[in-house]
Amino acid sequence: METTKSINGIKMAFSHLDKIFWPDEGYTKGDVIDYYNKVYPHIIKYMKERPESLLRMPNGLADKGFFQKDAGLNAPEWVKHVPLHSESAEKDINYIICNDKPTLLYLANLGCIEMNPWNSRLDTLDKPDYFVMDIDPSEQNTFEQVIETANVIKELLDKAGAASFPKTSGATGIHIYVPLGAKYTYEQAKNFANTIAIMTQEQLPDFTSLERTLSKRGKKHIYIDYLQNRKGQTLACAYSLRPKAGATVSTPLDWKEVKKGLHPSDFTMNNIIKRIEKKGDLFSGVLLKGIDMMKCIKQLESK
Amino acid sequence: MHAIWSGAIGFGLVNIPVKLYSATQESSLDLDMLDKNGHANIHYARINAKTGKEVPWANIVKGYKYNDGYVVLTDADFEKVSPQKSKMIDINDFVKAEEINTTFYDTPYYLSPTKGGERAYVLLREALKQSGKIAIGQFVLRNKESLCILKPQDDVILLQKIRFAEEIRSYEDLGIPKNITVKPAELKMAHSLINQLTPKKFSISKYKDTYDEDLMKIIKAKAKGKKITAPKFKIIHNKSKDLMEQLKASLDTGTRKKAS
Repeated sequence: METTKSINGIKMAFSHLDKIFWPDEGYTKGDVIDYYNKVYPHIIKYMKERPESLLRMPNGLADKGFFQKDAGLNAPEWVKHVPLHSESAEKDINYIICNDKPTLLYLANLGCIEMNPWNSRLDTLDKPDYFVMDIDPSEQNTFEQVIETANVIKELLDKAGAASFPKTSGATGIHIYVPLGAKYTYEQAKNFANTIAIMTQEQLPDFTSLERTLSKRGKKHIYIDYLQNRKGQTLACAYSLRPKAGATVSTPLDWKEVKKGLHPSDFTMNNIIKRIEKKGDLFSGVLLKGIDMMKCIKQLESK
Repeated sequence: MHAIWSGAIGFGLVNIPVKLYSATQESSLDLDMLDKNGHANIHYARINAKTGKEVPWANIVKGYKYNDGYVVLTDADFEKVSPQKSKMIDINDFVKAEEINTTFYDTPYYLSPTKGGERAYVLLREALKQSGKIAIGQFVLRNKESLCILKPQDDVILLQKIRFAEEIRSYEDLGIPKNITVKPAELKMAHSLINQLTPKKFSISKYKDTYDEDLMKIIKAKAKGKKITAPKFKIIHNKSKDLMEQLKASLDTGTRKKAS
Protein backbone atom coordinates (compact mmCIF):
# COMPACT_ATOMS: atom_id res chain seq x y z
CA MET A 1 0.00 0.00 0.00
CA GLU A 2 2.83 2.38 -0.73
CA THR A 3 3.18 4.87 -3.52
CA THR A 4 6.60 6.20 -4.31
CA LYS A 5 7.02 9.64 -5.75
CA SER A 6 9.97 11.85 -6.41
CA ILE A 7 9.55 15.28 -4.83
CA ASN A 8 12.35 17.81 -5.40
CA GLY A 9 14.63 14.92 -6.25
CA ILE A 10 13.82 13.05 -3.07
CA LYS A 11 12.21 9.65 -3.36
CA MET A 12 9.28 9.64 -1.00
CA ALA A 13 7.03 6.79 -0.02
CA PHE A 14 3.40 7.66 0.67
CA SER A 15 1.25 5.13 2.47
CA HIS A 16 -2.47 4.45 2.79
CA LEU A 17 -3.48 7.21 0.41
CA ASP A 18 -7.01 5.78 0.16
CA LYS A 19 -7.58 5.82 3.89
CA ILE A 20 -10.75 7.77 4.68
CA PHE A 21 -9.91 10.71 6.95
CA TRP A 22 -13.29 12.47 6.83
CA PRO A 23 -15.92 9.72 7.03
CA ASP A 24 -18.84 12.08 6.33
CA GLU A 25 -17.30 13.64 3.26
CA GLY A 26 -15.25 10.66 2.15
CA TYR A 27 -12.04 12.71 1.93
CA THR A 28 -8.89 10.62 2.19
CA LYS A 29 -5.36 10.95 3.42
CA GLY A 30 -4.42 11.30 -0.25
CA ASP A 31 -6.58 14.44 -0.39
CA VAL A 32 -4.64 15.92 2.54
CA ILE A 33 -1.30 15.29 0.84
CA ASP A 34 -2.73 16.66 -2.37
CA TYR A 35 -3.89 19.82 -0.60
CA TYR A 36 -0.53 20.47 1.01
CA ASN A 37 1.17 19.82 -2.30
CA LYS A 38 -0.91 22.61 -3.82
CA VAL A 39 -0.88 25.09 -0.94
CA TYR A 40 2.85 24.63 -0.31
CA PRO A 41 4.05 27.97 -1.80
CA HIS A 42 1.73 29.87 0.52
CA ILE A 43 1.81 27.90 3.75
CA ILE A 44 5.57 27.43 3.78
CA LYS A 45 6.14 31.13 4.58
CA TYR A 46 4.45 30.57 7.91
CA MET A 47 6.35 27.37 8.71
CA LYS A 48 9.94 28.04 7.63
CA GLU A 49 12.56 27.87 10.40
CA ARG A 50 9.88 27.24 13.02
CA PRO A 51 9.86 24.16 15.26
CA GLU A 52 6.76 22.16 14.43
CA SER A 53 4.45 20.51 16.96
CA LEU A 54 3.21 17.30 15.46
CA LEU A 55 -0.43 16.41 15.94
CA ARG A 56 -0.67 13.10 14.14
CA MET A 57 -4.06 11.73 13.19
CA PRO A 58 -3.31 8.56 11.26
CA ASN A 59 -6.95 7.50 11.59
CA GLY A 60 -8.30 10.82 10.40
CA LEU A 61 -11.27 12.21 12.27
CA ALA A 62 -12.11 8.79 13.72
CA ASP A 63 -10.06 9.54 16.84
CA LYS A 64 -8.24 12.42 18.43
CA GLY A 65 -4.81 11.39 17.28
CA PHE A 66 -1.73 12.11 19.36
CA PHE A 67 1.04 14.67 19.78
CA GLN A 68 4.34 13.20 18.79
CA LYS A 69 7.38 14.40 20.64
CA ASP A 70 10.88 13.76 19.39
CA ALA A 71 9.58 13.39 15.85
CA GLY A 72 12.95 14.42 14.51
CA LEU A 73 14.61 11.22 15.70
CA ASN A 74 12.54 8.97 13.46
CA ALA A 75 12.59 11.24 10.45
CA PRO A 76 14.54 10.50 7.27
CA GLU A 77 17.93 12.15 7.03
CA TRP A 78 16.79 14.88 4.66
CA VAL A 79 14.30 16.22 7.23
CA LYS A 80 15.77 19.08 9.25
CA HIS A 81 15.43 18.67 12.98
CA VAL A 82 16.85 20.38 16.06
CA PRO A 83 17.01 19.42 19.72
CA LEU A 84 15.37 22.05 21.93
CA HIS A 85 15.14 22.01 25.66
CA SER A 86 11.60 21.51 26.87
CA GLU A 87 10.77 22.84 30.31
CA SER A 88 7.64 20.76 30.63
CA ALA A 89 9.39 17.53 29.61
CA GLU A 90 12.61 18.55 31.44
CA LYS A 91 14.77 17.33 28.60
CA ASP A 92 15.73 18.01 25.01
CA ILE A 93 13.11 17.27 22.39
CA ASN A 94 13.90 16.82 18.76
CA TYR A 95 11.74 19.10 16.69
CA ILE A 96 11.17 18.90 12.96
CA ILE A 97 11.72 22.13 11.04
CA CYS A 98 9.68 22.28 7.86
CA ASN A 99 11.54 24.33 5.27
CA ASP A 100 10.66 22.57 2.05
CA LYS A 101 8.01 20.65 0.16
CA PRO A 102 9.28 17.13 0.85
CA THR A 103 9.18 17.82 4.60
CA LEU A 104 5.67 19.27 4.38
CA LEU A 105 4.44 16.21 2.50
CA TYR A 106 6.32 13.97 4.92
CA LEU A 107 4.34 15.54 7.77
CA ALA A 108 1.10 15.08 5.85
CA ASN A 109 2.01 11.45 5.25
CA LEU A 110 2.52 11.03 9.01
CA GLY A 111 -1.14 11.97 9.35
CA CYS A 112 -0.64 15.60 10.34
CA ILE A 113 -3.85 17.21 9.19
CA GLU A 114 -2.95 20.40 11.03
CA MET A 115 0.31 22.29 10.81
CA ASN A 116 1.32 23.78 14.18
CA PRO A 117 4.48 25.89 13.97
CA TRP A 118 5.96 27.95 16.78
CA ASN A 119 5.52 31.72 16.89
CA SER A 120 9.30 32.22 16.75
CA ARG A 121 12.05 31.11 14.37
CA LEU A 122 15.27 29.23 15.21
CA ASP A 123 17.46 32.36 15.01
CA THR A 124 15.29 34.25 17.45
CA LEU A 125 13.67 31.45 19.39
CA ASP A 126 12.90 33.59 22.43
CA LYS A 127 11.32 36.39 20.42
CA PRO A 128 8.10 35.65 18.57
CA ASP A 129 7.39 37.19 15.18
CA TYR A 130 3.84 37.99 16.24
CA PHE A 131 1.39 37.62 19.05
CA VAL A 132 -2.01 36.02 18.67
CA MET A 133 -5.41 36.81 20.13
CA ASP A 134 -7.34 33.56 19.99
CA ILE A 135 -11.09 34.14 20.06
CA ASP A 136 -12.47 30.82 21.12
CA PRO A 137 -16.27 30.60 21.49
CA SER A 138 -18.12 28.22 23.79
CA GLU A 139 -21.02 26.02 22.79
CA GLN A 140 -23.72 28.63 23.11
CA ASN A 141 -21.97 31.56 21.47
CA THR A 142 -22.98 32.64 18.00
CA PHE A 143 -20.44 33.37 15.31
CA GLU A 144 -21.84 36.92 15.25
CA GLN A 145 -20.50 37.31 18.80
CA VAL A 146 -17.10 36.06 17.65
CA ILE A 147 -17.21 38.68 14.89
CA GLU A 148 -18.15 41.38 17.38
CA THR A 149 -15.31 40.40 19.69
CA ALA A 150 -12.85 40.42 16.78
CA ASN A 151 -13.98 43.90 15.83
CA VAL A 152 -13.56 45.24 19.35
CA ILE A 153 -10.03 43.82 19.42
CA LYS A 154 -9.39 45.38 16.04
CA GLU A 155 -10.66 48.74 17.27
CA LEU A 156 -8.39 48.57 20.31
CA LEU A 157 -5.39 47.60 18.19
CA ASP A 158 -6.23 50.42 15.78
CA LYS A 159 -6.24 52.86 18.70
CA ALA A 160 -2.90 51.47 19.78
CA GLY A 161 -1.64 51.97 16.24
CA ALA A 162 -0.93 48.25 15.87
CA ALA A 163 -1.44 46.42 12.59
CA SER A 164 -3.58 43.31 12.89
CA PHE A 165 -4.38 40.38 10.64
CA PRO A 166 -7.40 38.13 11.17
CA LYS A 167 -7.87 34.55 10.05
CA THR A 168 -10.48 31.93 10.72
CA SER A 169 -9.25 29.31 13.13
CA GLY A 170 -10.74 26.74 10.78
CA ALA A 171 -13.04 25.63 13.57
CA THR A 172 -15.44 28.04 15.30
CA GLY A 173 -13.16 30.93 16.23
CA ILE A 174 -11.03 33.71 14.83
CA HIS A 175 -7.30 34.30 15.35
CA ILE A 176 -5.93 37.82 15.24
CA TYR A 177 -2.19 38.16 14.62
CA VAL A 178 -0.17 41.27 15.42
CA PRO A 179 3.36 41.50 13.95
CA LEU A 180 6.20 41.95 16.46
CA GLY A 181 9.22 41.61 14.20
CA ALA A 182 11.02 39.32 16.71
CA LYS A 183 11.82 42.37 18.85
CA TYR A 184 10.08 41.42 22.09
CA THR A 185 10.17 38.49 24.45
CA TYR A 186 7.37 35.95 24.78
CA GLU A 187 6.65 37.44 28.21
CA GLN A 188 6.21 40.92 26.76
CA ALA A 189 4.10 39.58 23.91
CA LYS A 190 1.91 37.72 26.37
CA ASN A 191 1.50 40.76 28.60
CA PHE A 192 0.54 42.98 25.73
CA ALA A 193 -1.95 40.39 24.53
CA ASN A 194 -3.27 40.15 28.07
CA THR A 195 -3.77 43.94 28.19
CA ILE A 196 -5.79 43.86 24.97
CA ALA A 197 -7.72 40.84 26.26
CA ILE A 198 -8.66 42.61 29.50
CA MET A 199 -9.77 45.73 27.67
CA THR A 200 -11.80 43.70 25.22
CA GLN A 201 -13.47 41.78 27.99
CA GLU A 202 -14.38 45.09 29.66
CA GLN A 203 -16.11 46.18 26.47
CA LEU A 204 -18.03 42.93 26.09
CA PRO A 205 -18.65 41.68 29.63
CA ASP A 206 -21.85 39.84 28.70
CA PHE A 207 -20.37 37.16 26.54
CA THR A 208 -16.58 37.18 26.80
CA SER A 209 -14.32 35.81 29.48
CA LEU A 210 -10.65 35.46 30.33
CA GLU A 211 -11.33 32.45 32.54
CA ARG A 212 -9.12 29.66 31.39
CA THR A 213 -10.89 26.79 33.10
CA LEU A 214 -13.73 25.55 30.96
CA SER A 215 -15.96 24.59 33.90
CA LYS A 216 -15.66 28.05 35.43
CA ARG A 217 -16.14 29.77 32.10
CA GLY A 218 -19.44 28.10 31.36
CA LYS A 219 -21.07 27.63 27.99
CA LYS A 220 -22.10 31.19 27.29
CA HIS A 221 -18.77 32.96 27.13
CA ILE A 222 -16.18 33.39 24.45
CA TYR A 223 -12.69 32.72 25.73
CA ILE A 224 -10.27 35.47 24.75
CA ASP A 225 -7.14 33.40 24.90
CA TYR A 226 -3.91 35.40 25.21
CA LEU A 227 -1.93 32.49 26.61
CA GLN A 228 -1.10 31.14 23.18
CA ASN A 229 1.78 33.60 23.31
CA ARG A 230 4.14 31.38 25.23
CA LYS A 231 7.21 29.66 23.95
CA GLY A 232 6.35 26.34 22.41
CA GLN A 233 2.63 27.05 22.38
CA THR A 234 1.17 26.57 18.92
CA LEU A 235 -1.92 27.21 16.85
CA ALA A 236 -2.81 25.91 13.43
CA CYS A 237 -1.04 28.30 11.06
CA ALA A 238 -2.46 30.20 8.11
CA TYR A 239 -3.65 27.80 5.36
CA SER A 240 -3.45 24.82 7.70
CA LEU A 241 -6.17 22.23 7.26
CA ARG A 242 -8.23 21.45 10.34
CA PRO A 243 -9.56 18.04 11.34
CA LYS A 244 -13.12 19.40 11.27
CA ALA A 245 -16.27 18.72 9.29
CA GLY A 246 -15.96 19.88 5.70
CA ALA A 247 -12.14 19.87 5.80
CA THR A 248 -11.98 23.54 6.75
CA VAL A 249 -8.86 25.65 6.42
CA SER A 250 -7.54 28.34 8.75
CA THR A 251 -8.08 31.18 6.30
CA PRO A 252 -6.59 34.69 6.32
CA LEU A 253 -9.28 37.33 6.02
CA ASP A 254 -9.58 40.90 4.94
CA TRP A 255 -10.92 42.90 7.89
CA LYS A 256 -13.74 43.97 5.57
CA GLU A 257 -14.89 40.38 5.55
CA VAL A 258 -15.11 40.18 9.34
CA LYS A 259 -18.80 41.05 9.56
CA LYS A 260 -22.14 39.35 9.57
CA GLY A 261 -22.38 36.86 6.76
CA LEU A 262 -18.92 35.46 7.33
CA HIS A 263 -18.97 31.69 7.87
CA PRO A 264 -15.76 29.87 8.74
CA SER A 265 -17.18 26.74 7.14
CA ASP A 266 -17.09 28.50 3.74
CA PHE A 267 -13.32 28.02 3.51
CA THR A 268 -12.30 24.47 2.80
CA MET A 269 -9.46 22.59 1.16
CA ASN A 270 -11.59 22.48 -2.00
CA ASN A 271 -11.82 26.22 -2.57
CA ILE A 272 -8.94 27.84 -0.73
CA ILE A 273 -6.46 27.73 -3.61
CA LYS A 274 -8.91 29.63 -5.81
CA ARG A 275 -9.38 32.20 -3.07
CA ILE A 276 -5.63 32.73 -2.74
CA GLU A 277 -5.35 33.13 -6.50
CA LYS A 278 -8.06 35.78 -6.37
CA LYS A 279 -7.20 37.65 -3.17
CA GLY A 280 -3.50 37.01 -2.86
CA ASP A 281 -1.92 36.17 0.48
CA LEU A 282 -3.77 38.41 2.95
CA PHE A 283 -1.47 37.33 5.77
CA SER A 284 1.96 38.38 4.51
CA GLY A 285 1.93 41.54 6.69
CA VAL A 286 2.24 39.32 9.77
CA LEU A 287 5.88 38.65 8.92
CA LEU A 288 6.68 42.24 7.98
CA LYS A 289 7.40 45.24 10.18
CA GLY A 290 6.58 44.71 13.83
CA ILE A 291 4.80 47.16 16.07
CA ASP A 292 6.50 49.58 18.47
CA MET A 293 5.08 48.20 21.67
CA MET A 294 5.98 51.17 23.88
CA LYS A 295 4.31 53.55 21.44
CA CYS A 296 1.23 51.32 21.32
CA ILE A 297 0.89 51.24 25.11
CA LYS A 298 1.24 55.01 25.36
CA GLN A 299 -1.43 55.43 22.69
CA LEU A 300 -3.74 53.09 24.56
CA GLU A 301 -3.17 54.96 27.81
CA SER A 302 -3.84 58.33 26.25
CA LYS A 303 -7.30 57.28 25.11
CA MET B 1 -38.34 69.17 -10.34
CA HIS B 2 -37.60 66.48 -12.89
CA ALA B 3 -40.08 65.89 -15.69
CA ILE B 4 -40.90 62.19 -15.78
CA TRP B 5 -42.60 62.18 -19.15
CA SER B 6 -43.02 64.54 -22.07
CA GLY B 7 -45.50 64.51 -24.90
CA ALA B 8 -48.71 66.26 -25.74
CA ILE B 9 -52.35 66.46 -24.78
CA GLY B 10 -54.44 65.53 -27.83
CA PHE B 11 -57.59 67.55 -27.64
CA GLY B 12 -59.67 67.58 -30.81
CA LEU B 13 -57.53 69.05 -33.52
CA VAL B 14 -55.19 70.72 -31.06
CA ASN B 15 -52.03 69.22 -29.61
CA ILE B 16 -50.78 70.85 -26.42
CA PRO B 17 -47.11 69.97 -25.79
CA VAL B 18 -46.62 69.26 -22.10
CA LYS B 19 -44.30 67.78 -19.50
CA LEU B 20 -45.38 65.66 -16.59
CA TYR B 21 -44.10 66.11 -13.04
CA SER B 22 -44.81 64.17 -9.91
CA ALA B 23 -47.12 66.09 -7.58
CA THR B 24 -46.22 64.20 -4.42
CA GLN B 25 -43.15 63.52 -2.30
CA GLU B 26 -42.23 61.14 0.44
CA SER B 27 -42.58 62.74 3.84
CA SER B 28 -41.26 60.00 6.05
CA LEU B 29 -37.87 60.08 7.75
CA ASP B 30 -35.02 58.81 5.68
CA LEU B 31 -33.75 55.74 7.55
CA ASP B 32 -30.76 53.83 6.25
CA MET B 33 -30.33 50.10 6.48
CA LEU B 34 -27.13 49.15 8.28
CA ASP B 35 -25.23 46.09 9.29
CA LYS B 36 -25.78 45.62 13.03
CA ASN B 37 -22.04 44.99 13.39
CA GLY B 38 -20.00 48.00 12.43
CA HIS B 39 -22.90 49.98 10.91
CA ALA B 40 -21.85 49.73 7.31
CA ASN B 41 -24.54 50.70 4.81
CA ILE B 42 -26.50 47.94 3.15
CA HIS B 43 -26.81 48.15 -0.57
CA TYR B 44 -28.66 46.04 -3.05
CA ALA B 45 -26.93 44.22 -5.79
CA ARG B 46 -28.40 42.70 -8.91
CA ILE B 47 -27.03 39.23 -9.05
CA ASN B 48 -26.79 36.88 -11.99
CA ALA B 49 -28.63 33.81 -10.68
CA LYS B 50 -26.24 31.48 -12.49
CA THR B 51 -22.81 32.95 -11.79
CA GLY B 52 -23.64 34.72 -8.54
CA LYS B 53 -21.85 37.78 -9.89
CA GLU B 54 -23.19 41.32 -9.88
CA VAL B 55 -24.61 42.67 -13.13
CA PRO B 56 -24.35 46.42 -13.92
CA TRP B 57 -27.53 48.27 -14.88
CA ALA B 58 -26.23 48.80 -18.39
CA ASN B 59 -26.24 45.04 -18.96
CA ILE B 60 -29.76 44.42 -17.71
CA VAL B 61 -32.53 43.88 -20.26
CA LYS B 62 -36.16 42.88 -19.94
CA GLY B 63 -37.40 39.67 -21.43
CA TYR B 64 -40.59 37.68 -21.71
CA LYS B 65 -40.47 33.92 -21.33
CA TYR B 66 -41.76 32.54 -24.57
CA ASN B 67 -41.74 28.82 -25.37
CA ASP B 68 -38.35 27.63 -24.14
CA GLY B 69 -36.43 30.85 -24.33
CA TYR B 70 -36.71 34.54 -23.63
CA VAL B 71 -37.75 37.25 -26.06
CA VAL B 72 -35.73 40.31 -25.09
CA LEU B 73 -37.48 43.66 -25.44
CA THR B 74 -35.73 46.97 -26.05
CA ASP B 75 -36.93 50.56 -25.63
CA ALA B 76 -37.62 50.66 -29.35
CA ASP B 77 -39.92 47.65 -28.99
CA PHE B 78 -41.89 49.32 -26.21
CA GLU B 79 -42.29 52.45 -28.29
CA LYS B 80 -43.62 50.35 -31.16
CA VAL B 81 -46.48 49.00 -29.01
CA SER B 82 -48.63 52.07 -29.39
CA PRO B 83 -46.45 54.86 -30.71
CA GLN B 84 -49.33 57.28 -30.51
CA LYS B 85 -50.12 56.70 -26.85
CA SER B 86 -46.56 56.75 -25.59
CA LYS B 87 -46.26 60.37 -26.67
CA MET B 88 -49.87 61.51 -26.43
CA ILE B 89 -52.49 61.94 -23.75
CA ASP B 90 -55.63 61.30 -25.77
CA ILE B 91 -58.71 62.97 -24.39
CA ASN B 92 -61.82 60.87 -25.01
CA ASP B 93 -64.53 62.17 -22.66
CA PHE B 94 -65.46 65.07 -20.47
CA VAL B 95 -67.39 64.29 -17.29
CA LYS B 96 -68.47 65.89 -14.02
CA ALA B 97 -65.87 65.29 -11.30
CA GLU B 98 -68.37 63.59 -9.00
CA GLU B 99 -69.05 60.95 -11.65
CA ILE B 100 -65.74 59.37 -10.78
CA ASN B 101 -65.66 57.71 -7.41
CA THR B 102 -62.59 58.52 -5.28
CA THR B 103 -61.86 54.80 -5.13
CA PHE B 104 -60.52 55.18 -8.65
CA TYR B 105 -58.08 57.94 -7.78
CA ASP B 106 -54.43 57.05 -8.03
CA THR B 107 -51.19 59.09 -8.15
CA PRO B 108 -51.46 62.80 -9.01
CA TYR B 109 -49.08 64.61 -11.38
CA TYR B 110 -48.71 68.18 -12.59
CA LEU B 111 -48.76 69.08 -16.26
CA SER B 112 -46.83 72.12 -17.48
CA PRO B 113 -46.89 73.46 -21.03
CA THR B 114 -43.70 73.33 -23.05
CA LYS B 115 -42.66 75.85 -25.65
CA GLY B 116 -45.45 76.82 -27.99
CA GLY B 117 -48.13 75.15 -25.89
CA GLU B 118 -48.77 77.94 -23.38
CA ARG B 119 -51.85 79.47 -24.98
CA ALA B 120 -53.60 76.20 -25.71
CA TYR B 121 -52.76 75.03 -22.16
CA VAL B 122 -54.43 78.10 -20.59
CA LEU B 123 -57.37 77.74 -22.95
CA LEU B 124 -58.00 74.14 -21.88
CA ARG B 125 -57.59 75.03 -18.19
CA GLU B 126 -60.07 77.92 -18.34
CA ALA B 127 -62.57 75.94 -20.42
CA LEU B 128 -62.47 73.13 -17.88
CA LYS B 129 -62.95 75.57 -14.98
CA GLN B 130 -65.94 77.24 -16.58
CA SER B 131 -67.62 74.04 -17.67
CA GLY B 132 -67.08 72.50 -14.22
CA LYS B 133 -65.96 69.32 -15.95
CA ILE B 134 -62.85 67.20 -16.03
CA ALA B 135 -61.26 65.42 -19.01
CA ILE B 136 -60.64 61.71 -19.22
CA GLY B 137 -57.63 60.59 -21.17
CA GLN B 138 -55.38 57.65 -21.88
CA PHE B 139 -51.64 57.47 -22.34
CA VAL B 140 -48.70 55.18 -21.77
CA LEU B 141 -46.45 55.89 -18.80
CA ARG B 142 -43.45 53.65 -18.10
CA ASN B 143 -44.58 50.92 -20.45
CA LYS B 144 -48.01 50.82 -18.88
CA GLU B 145 -51.34 51.86 -20.28
CA SER B 146 -52.65 54.55 -17.96
CA LEU B 147 -56.07 56.04 -17.53
CA CYS B 148 -56.21 59.57 -16.16
CA ILE B 149 -58.27 62.63 -15.51
CA LEU B 150 -57.19 66.20 -16.27
CA LYS B 151 -58.49 68.69 -13.77
CA PRO B 152 -57.85 72.40 -13.37
CA GLN B 153 -56.44 73.40 -10.03
CA ASP B 154 -55.64 77.07 -9.61
CA ASP B 155 -52.92 77.72 -12.24
CA VAL B 156 -52.08 74.18 -13.07
CA ILE B 157 -53.73 71.33 -14.89
CA LEU B 158 -53.56 68.33 -12.64
CA LEU B 159 -53.22 64.92 -14.21
CA GLN B 160 -54.40 62.24 -11.85
CA LYS B 161 -54.00 58.64 -12.78
CA ILE B 162 -57.18 56.71 -12.16
CA ARG B 163 -57.66 52.98 -11.94
CA PHE B 164 -59.35 50.87 -14.58
CA ALA B 165 -62.72 49.44 -13.57
CA GLU B 166 -61.30 45.89 -13.39
CA GLU B 167 -58.84 46.99 -10.70
CA ILE B 168 -61.60 47.83 -8.23
CA ARG B 169 -62.91 45.09 -6.00
CA SER B 170 -66.56 44.54 -5.14
CA TYR B 171 -67.56 44.83 -1.49
CA GLU B 172 -70.37 42.31 -1.85
CA ASP B 173 -68.55 39.69 0.21
CA LEU B 174 -68.20 41.98 3.23
CA GLY B 175 -71.81 41.46 4.34
CA ILE B 176 -72.58 45.14 4.90
CA PRO B 177 -76.11 45.28 6.43
CA LYS B 178 -78.75 46.59 4.06
CA ASN B 179 -82.11 46.58 5.78
CA ILE B 180 -81.51 48.40 9.01
CA THR B 181 -83.66 51.48 9.53
CA VAL B 182 -82.40 54.40 11.58
CA LYS B 183 -84.46 56.40 14.04
CA PRO B 184 -85.09 60.06 13.05
CA ALA B 185 -84.02 61.28 16.49
CA GLU B 186 -80.70 59.51 16.26
CA LEU B 187 -80.15 60.82 12.79
CA LYS B 188 -80.85 64.33 14.01
CA MET B 189 -78.29 63.94 16.74
CA ALA B 190 -75.71 62.72 14.27
CA HIS B 191 -76.45 65.70 12.04
CA SER B 192 -75.86 68.17 14.80
CA LEU B 193 -72.56 66.46 15.62
CA ILE B 194 -71.49 66.70 12.03
CA ASN B 195 -72.34 70.38 11.95
CA GLN B 196 -70.39 71.02 15.09
CA LEU B 197 -67.27 69.48 13.56
CA THR B 198 -67.61 71.32 10.27
CA PRO B 199 -65.18 74.26 10.11
CA LYS B 200 -66.09 77.41 8.24
CA LYS B 201 -63.05 77.02 6.09
CA PHE B 202 -61.27 73.70 6.07
CA SER B 203 -57.51 73.56 5.62
CA ILE B 204 -55.92 70.14 5.27
CA SER B 205 -52.53 71.52 6.30
CA LYS B 206 -53.60 71.49 9.92
CA TYR B 207 -53.16 67.71 9.85
CA LYS B 208 -49.60 66.74 10.52
CA ASP B 209 -47.75 63.48 10.44
CA THR B 210 -46.44 63.55 14.02
CA TYR B 211 -45.00 60.05 13.95
CA ASP B 212 -41.82 61.26 12.28
CA GLU B 213 -41.50 64.16 14.71
CA ASP B 214 -41.76 61.79 17.63
CA LEU B 215 -39.27 59.41 16.06
CA MET B 216 -36.87 62.29 15.51
CA LYS B 217 -37.09 63.13 19.21
CA ILE B 218 -36.05 59.58 20.04
CA ILE B 219 -33.20 59.73 17.54
CA LYS B 220 -31.89 62.97 19.03
CA ALA B 221 -32.12 61.63 22.55
CA LYS B 222 -30.26 58.52 21.52
CA ALA B 223 -27.55 60.49 19.75
CA LYS B 224 -27.05 62.58 22.89
CA GLY B 225 -26.91 59.59 25.18
CA LYS B 226 -24.44 56.77 25.12
CA LYS B 227 -22.74 56.09 21.85
CA ILE B 228 -23.68 52.70 20.62
CA THR B 229 -21.04 52.12 17.97
CA ALA B 230 -17.83 53.45 19.45
CA PRO B 231 -17.14 51.93 22.84
CA LYS B 232 -15.31 54.24 25.22
CA PHE B 233 -11.89 53.13 26.24
CA LYS B 234 -11.40 55.68 28.96
CA ILE B 235 -12.21 53.43 31.85
CA ILE B 236 -9.19 51.25 32.15
CA HIS B 237 -9.36 48.61 34.78
CA ASN B 238 -6.61 48.69 37.35
CA LYS B 239 -5.59 45.26 36.25
CA SER B 240 -4.74 46.34 32.73
CA LYS B 241 -3.16 49.52 34.14
CA ASP B 242 -0.82 47.50 36.33
CA LEU B 243 -0.03 45.25 33.47
CA MET B 244 0.78 48.18 31.22
CA GLU B 245 3.08 49.69 33.83
CA GLN B 246 4.82 46.36 34.20
CA LEU B 247 5.12 46.05 30.45
CA LYS B 248 6.49 49.56 30.09
CA ALA B 249 9.09 48.86 32.77
CA SER B 250 10.19 45.69 30.98
CA LEU B 251 10.37 47.51 27.63
CA ASP B 252 12.41 50.27 29.24
CA THR B 253 15.05 47.92 30.60
CA GLY B 254 15.12 46.26 27.20
CA THR B 255 16.07 49.46 25.42
CA ARG B 256 18.55 50.46 28.11
CA LYS B 257 20.31 47.16 27.75
CA LYS B 258 20.50 47.67 24.03
CA ALA B 259 21.90 51.15 24.46
CA SER B 260 24.69 50.14 26.81
